[in-house]
Amino acid sequence: MNSFVYVNIFETKGLEYLLLLCFWVLFIYLVRYLSAPVKNRKDWP
Amino acid sequence: MSTAVTREMGHFFQFLIQEMKPRGPWLTPFNIISVPVILTGLVILYFRFVYGLGAVTNLSQDFPWGFWLGFDVVTGIALAGGAYVITFVVYVMKVDKYQSIVRVTVLNALLAYIFYAGALLFDLGRPWHAFNPYIGNSFGFSSVMFLICWHFMLYMVAAFVEFSPVIAEWAHWEKARKILKGLTLGTVIFGITLSILHQSGLGALFLMAKPKIHPLWWSEFIPILFFVSSIYAGLAMIIFEGTISHRVFKNLIDPDSHHAFDDIIFGLAKGAAITMFVYYFMKALLFVHDKQWGLLGDGWGYWYLLEVLGFVLVPGFMFAFGFRNRSLNIVKLASILALLGIVLNRLNVSIISFRWYADVHYYPSWQEIVVTLMIIFTEIWIFRWIVTRMPVFKPAH
Repeated sequence: MNSFVYVNIFETKGLEYLLLLCFWVLFIYLVRYLSAPVKNRKDWP
Repeated sequence: MSTAVTREMGHFFQFLIQEMKPRGPWLTPFNIISVPVILTGLVILYFRFVYGLGAVTNLSQDFPWGFWLGFDVVTGIALAGGAYVITFVVYVMKVDKYQSIVRVTVLNALLAYIFYAGALLFDLGRPWHAFNPYIGNSFGFSSVMFLICWHFMLYMVAAFVEFSPVIAEWAHWEKARKILKGLTLGTVIFGITLSILHQSGLGALFLMAKPKIHPLWWSEFIPILFFVSSIYAGLAMIIFEGTISHRVFKNLIDPDSHHAFDDIIFGLAKGAAITMFVYYFMKALLFVHDKQWGLLGDGWGYWYLLEVLGFVLVPGFMFAFGFRNRSLNIVKLASILALLGIVLNRLNVSIISFRWYADVHYYPSWQEIVVTLMIIFTEIWIFRWIVTRMPVFKPAH
C-alpha cells in the first residue's frame, strides 16, 4: 500500500496556483509602492 | 440665402489656400531626409501596383504576410492604442489632468489608422477587393478579417468625429463645433468598444496559424495578450511622442502645459508599470500552463526571454522606479524599451517566428523598408501641418 504519492508540481496545476498567489501578493505590493508619497529629487522642478 | 452661403464658402476657400502655404524653413534635417525617402517610396509603389507584389517584396506563397503587414498594420495599430486609453480616462473616468493631451493623442491615432491600416492596401495582392466587406460582396461573417475591416473603418470615423471639434475651432465654425462637441462622449464610448475588439482581433488573426508559429509565441489567449499589451504600448507611445512634440513644437505650447506635461508623464508611467506587470504575469502563466520549459534551451528560447524579460519586465520596473523617484529620464528610457518590446513582440508573432522550422526564412526587401519609412514620414508631415495650424495642443474643454 502506498502511503505517499509524489506530486510533480511541474506536471500539475500546482505551479500555476503558486504563480497566481505570487501575482496577487506582488500586485498588492506594487500598488502600495506606487501609491506611497513620491520621493522628491533635487532635479525635480 | 444662397448668396450668403456662396460668400461664406468663398471665405473658407480663401482661408484654406492661405493655410496651405508652407510655414517655416524648408531646408531642415527632417525635410532633407524625408523628401527623398517619400519620393523613392512613391516610385517603388508604382512598380508594386504595375508589376505586382513580387517585383518589390520578398513575399511568397510560404510567407504571404511580410513587413508591411507585420510592422505597419499589426505594430502600428498597437502603438496607436493610447487614444482609447486616454479618452477613457478623460471622458469616462473624468480625470481632467490628461485633458491637455487628448487632442494630440486622438490626432495621432487618427493618422496612425489612416496610414498604417491604409498600408494594408499595399500588401493585398488585389487591393480593389478590400472594399468587398463593406459593400456586401462575399461577406465573411466568420472571418476575423471581416471584423477588423469594419472596425478599422468605423474607428477611423469615430476618431475623426472625436477630433472634428478641433477642425471646427480652426475654421471658426462655432455652431458646428458645439454640435460636434456634443457627439464626443458617445463617440468615445463607441471608439473604446471598437478598439478593445480590434486590438484583440489583430491577435485573433494568428489563432488559425498554430502549426506555423513557434509555440513560445502562439497561444489561444493571444487576443487578450494583444489587447493588454496595446494599453501600455499606447501609454509608452504618448510619453515618447509627447516628449518629442514638446521639444519640436515648444513655441506652440504654453509654459503651464510644459510644466504639467511632466506630471502627466509620471501618471502615464504609473499606468504603464501596472499594465506591464499584469501582462508579464499573463505571459508567465501561459508559459507554465503550456509546459514550455523545454523550449528555452535553444536560440528561440533565448530570443523569447530577451523579449519578455528585457523588453517587458525591465521597462515595467523602470516605469515604477521612475515614477516613485520622479526621474523623467528613467521613464523616457522605459518608454523606448517598452515600444521596442511591442515592435519585437508583434514582429515575432507575425514574421520572425512564422514558419520558424523552414529552411528559407523571410527577410524584408529594401523596398519594403523604404515604403514603410515613406508611410511614417508622410504621417509626420501631415501631423506637422495640422499641429502648426489647428489648436491641437490646447486642452479639450
